[in-house]
Amino acid sequence: MIEAEVTVKNRAGLHTRPAAALVKIAAKYKSEIYLVRDKFSINAKSIIGVMTLAAEQGSKLLIKADGNDEAQALQELINLFDAGFGEI
Amino acid sequence: MTIQDFSSADVVEKQSKTENGNGNQMVMKGIPSSPGIIIGKAFVIKQESLIVPDEKIPSDQINDELNRFDNAQSDLVQQFLLSLNRVKSETGNIAAIMETNLLILSDPVITDSIKNTIKKGFSAESAVVQEFEKQRNYFKNTKDEILRERAVELDHIKQMLISVLKNQCINYSVAKNSIVVAHSLTTTDIVNFKEAGVIAFITEIGSIASHASILARSFDIPAVIGVKNACEAIHDSNDLIVDGFAGIVINRPRKVFIERYTKKISEIEEHKRRLGALVKMPAETIDGKKIQILTNVNFLDDVRTGVLNGADGVGLVRSENLIMELKKIPEEDTQYNWYKEISDRAYPTPVSIRVFDIGSDKYSEGLPFNEENPALGFRGIRFLLSRKDIFETQLRAILRASVNKNIKILLPMISSLHEVEYTIELLDICKKKLDEEGIPYDTNIPIGVMIETPAAALIADGLSEAVNFFSIGTNDLTQYTLAADRTNELVSDIFDSFHPAVLRLIKLTIEAANQKNIPVGVCGELAGHAASTDLLLGLGISELSVAPSIILELKNRIRNSSYQKTKQLADDILHCSSYKGVRERLDLALKDLTIIEEKDN
Repeated sequence: MIEAEVTVKNRAGLHTRPAAALVKIAAKYKSEIYLVRDKFSINAKSIIGVMTLAAEQGSKLLIKADGNDEAQALQELINLFDAGFGEI
Repeated sequence: MTIQDFSSADVVEKQSKTENGNGNQMVMKGIPSSPGIIIGKAFVIKQESLIVPDEKIPSDQINDELNRFDNAQSDLVQQFLLSLNRVKSETGNIAAIMETNLLILSDPVITDSIKNTIKKGFSAESAVVQEFEKQRNYFKNTKDEILRERAVELDHIKQMLISVLKNQCINYSVAKNSIVVAHSLTTTDIVNFKEAGVIAFITEIGSIASHASILARSFDIPAVIGVKNACEAIHDSNDLIVDGFAGIVINRPRKVFIERYTKKISEIEEHKRRLGALVKMPAETIDGKKIQILTNVNFLDDVRTGVLNGADGVGLVRSENLIMELKKIPEEDTQYNWYKEISDRAYPTPVSIRVFDIGSDKYSEGLPFNEENPALGFRGIRFLLSRKDIFETQLRAILRASVNKNIKILLPMISSLHEVEYTIELLDICKKKLDEEGIPYDTNIPIGVMIETPAAALIADGLSEAVNFFSIGTNDLTQYTLAADRTNELVSDIFDSFHPAVLRLIKLTIEAANQKNIPVGVCGELAGHAASTDLLLGLGISELSVAPSIILELKNRIRNSSYQKTKQLADDILHCSSYKGVRERLDLALKDLTIIEEKDN
């Protein structure tokens, strides 16, 4: 299992649209992927879970990925966060 | 003429409110959700009862029940994918909404939880209801405003799943060329009905900001929502008039109304033809200078009309209109709902809310009677800072409504920097209280000032340090600069926004704004004044905020202007010492102009 810390950079935060983008990427991979915020951990393939994180701009999340394609999955998700979900 | 002028709701109501009998014309009032007027036949969808009790099943049926759920889910996923493919070519907004719904429908956590409930011996319907209710309650109780609204989406998905489980599929194609009347409609329904060629929607419930409403608007299908008992009062194949501007449905209309509305429809089409082509084009000069054209908002409907006309956002919400409308200072929640609604409708474009700009000429409670000179008196920020209870309530309501992060606060009647500083202190107190209560808001909400007193223009450099944007109110700036009451006909020849003194104050303001790199707009009458468009462009204005009806004309003007030429024009005019000189230079540069005026600024 590998993990990385990311920051929500876009102004509107992890609202519906970025959440959908994130889930679509997570769902492409076989690995189990989790997002952790303040000990609260959710399945990154669950849109409901990601939305209930309600992560606003500046909040820090931990991505955990576990499986054969974990490295690729983690990298793609990090890129998504770094790009501010295409909203910056 | 604005598109709204085509609606004549009050006339209709006056004339036919009394005729409610069977077979007679019946006027029903709802909420205008998507503009347009349609005359056609009704197609009524009877709402089946979808409430499922905690229904248990024998343990030997559990596997069948799991299969039944799997099949329903994958049928619905297929249906969603089909709808999604159909809207792919439409705006990204719609596709995104449907994609989210698809992701919710196939959410692995929800799916697992439903299956686990079925394994405990509940029917598939019960399991679906239980799980969605659980998620919905979570969404409803969250502090996150945007999330709370998603609860409605969850309801729709739940209903669709149950409909499929019960095989209650709607045969969309039979609704071709008719007006759909339903209790409520899901986004998928709207897409499918649009495909089937439905011409209008009427629902008994629904909110103006719901995805179904947004979809109807994007598809340009007129819709009226919140029409009570529509499904009972309206029968299949009834003749209907749907007025999506006024939120009115006329059941079995009399001939005279059909004729009147037919005429309106052709007027609207003519209007659209004339300027419609410009709606989606940017306001850009022939040499590539882009201007933001924003809409002024007096009433909720102006937001939609502005967007319909291609506004880049809302440049001025005259919040005191809420006081005029309600005849009292509204409570926090009333204000919050209004601001939030405007923010939702304009999202993702920005909205500047001007805090109450009231004086004794507009509102009397708590104000001194008979001020000798209300225009120079106790008004705007002066009144608000003396009535912190009122001001704080408004700031709280605006902050609470700012969760979409597209709201800005605009302060009227500023004449000193300390008025801005006091306001910011008060705003910080409101923010702190909200923090303590755990209520979310936009922590970086921008603050701007109206430049409408000569004092504000002259200290614009100092003000620019304290605020995030300027908005020049040319009507007041003119009246205060020239000491000419804008409502006094005896001095109407002196009241002239093209006076060099006014223009120099505008120039001063723009220079101060450019120094600090903050946006500066014009929201007074001058902004909608065709003769002045070139001049304001040349002076370096970056935003113009006008009544919705003027947007397209203004866009047309800008798209035919050259920024280089307007700069030369502005330069020449600033060197004129008399406004006759200004007029002559303007006339020289701009021939055959139509003067478009916006009243009531």
